[in-house]
Amino acid sequence: MPNIPQSPLQDGSAVTDTDLVALLAGKRDVAPGLQPVADVLAALSAEPSLGELAGEARALAEFRRRTVVPVPRRHARRSTAGRTSRLSAKAAAGAAAATLVLGGAATAAFANMLPAPIQRLAHDVIGAPDAPSTTQPVPARGKPTVPGQAASHGTHKSNAKPHNASRHPYRHGRGQPGTGQGQQGQGQGQQGTGQGQQGQGQSGAGHAGQPGAGQPGQRGAGQGRQGNGLGNPHAPGQYGDPHFLWQLGAPHPPATPTARHARPARHTQP
Amino acid sequence: MINEEFASLLAAAQRGSEPAFSRLWRDVNPALLRYLRVIAPGAEEDLAAETWVQVVRGLRSFRGDEQAWRAWLFTTARRRAIDLARHRSRRPEAPLDDVAVAQLPRTEDSAEVALEHLSTAAAITLVSGLPRLQAEVILLRVVAGLDTESVARLLTKSPGAVRVAAHRGLRRLAQLTADTGVTL
Repeated sequence: MPNIPQSPLQDGSAVTDTDLVALLAGKRDVAPGLQPVADVLAALSAEPSLGELAGEARALAEFRRRTVVPVPRRHARRSTAGRTSRLSAKAAAGAAAATLVLGGAATAAFANMLPAPIQRLAHDVIGAPDAPSTTQPVPARGKPTVPGQAASHGTHKSNAKPHNASRHPYRHGRGQPGTGQGQQGQGQGQQGTGQGQQGQGQSGAGHAGQPGAGQPGQRGAGQGRQGNGLGNPHAPGQYGDPHFLWQLGAPHPPATPTARHARPARHTQP
Repeated sequence: MINEEFASLLAAAQRGSEPAFSRLWRDVNPALLRYLRVIAPGAEEDLAAETWVQVVRGLRSFRGDEQAWRAWLFTTARRRAIDLARHRSRRPEAPLDDVAVAQLPRTEDSAEVALEHLSTAAAITLVSGLPRLQAEVILLRVVAGLDTESVARLLTKSPGAVRVAAHRGLRRLAQLTADTGVTL
């Protein structure tokens, strides 16, 4: 059997973990067999040579370039001015957009082009024309209204405004529930017959006469003389001349045939 | 290691003090070069410079003690070295007459070189003959002064694996020096 010489450290038995930990900690007083290793590790952490410090100027230049260079004031002012101008531009754009929207809305309100609720709101706020009543059917232009239906307004815009003390029939009906005294104009007015005797029946009593009910939406209920029953002044001749109705004592002078565009004067009933 | 003065030096360097930064640089750069000489032989100077550029960029936002500071530096350097190795693998450039000493075959020749030069460079050459992980662990523990946990995080290994690699590397180093009769 060959006798192979072995190094004392070849099997590793001569090196303990304690020695290794001591070596890593930089201790020099280790087992004699590990002294060369301790010398190697000491050489690894020896004092730096000049060559290893040669790059200091380059590193310092980079450090100076990155950290010491101050921000010019001119740039700072410019950036602040830029922010201010951007804010002003945004504010101006917002103001212009708001002006356009409000102006368009006001124009539409005065042209009576808005939906009824919005139109009523505009009527309250900026005095735009009131929205036409939606609860009462509006007969077509030139057609007779069916007797027995509410025909107080007809298609004539000039007569469209109820003669309520309040301009708001809904509020009025809510405010005086159960009065039911109004001449509601339930079609008793012989609409279209040329008589113009609207409001003869006390047809409104049935609507607003619910004591204490006060339901909103009872349009026309109350004391207002809702409609004058003139009917459609533009109706064909077989229903009579609308001017004749006016002569019979209708409270308002009939509008001209183009009176759809005319605005009636506000009437308040004492 | 700077130890007690480190916090004040770092704060001064973050405020722009050149002497403070110079002191930090002088403390770490030699160890950085020795480490890079093992893991990226021939490119240690450039890699160290790139590392410091990156460190200077992030200096103001750095928070930590000296261990964290050194770990940050060596982690940055190691990533630079890995990037360089990838770049070299894609575009290999190896003139036959300009091969670095550390890239030569490292069996007993490294020990012979160490015998001739009892210096730091010789010790680095001797450690370069170890397997890569063992050499890195020994350098990071001894040269960089990092503890086991910091080395484990840097190398993305477990602390146990780092301890095993360190012990194996030291045993291997002891064996090399015993075989060749190296006495530094």
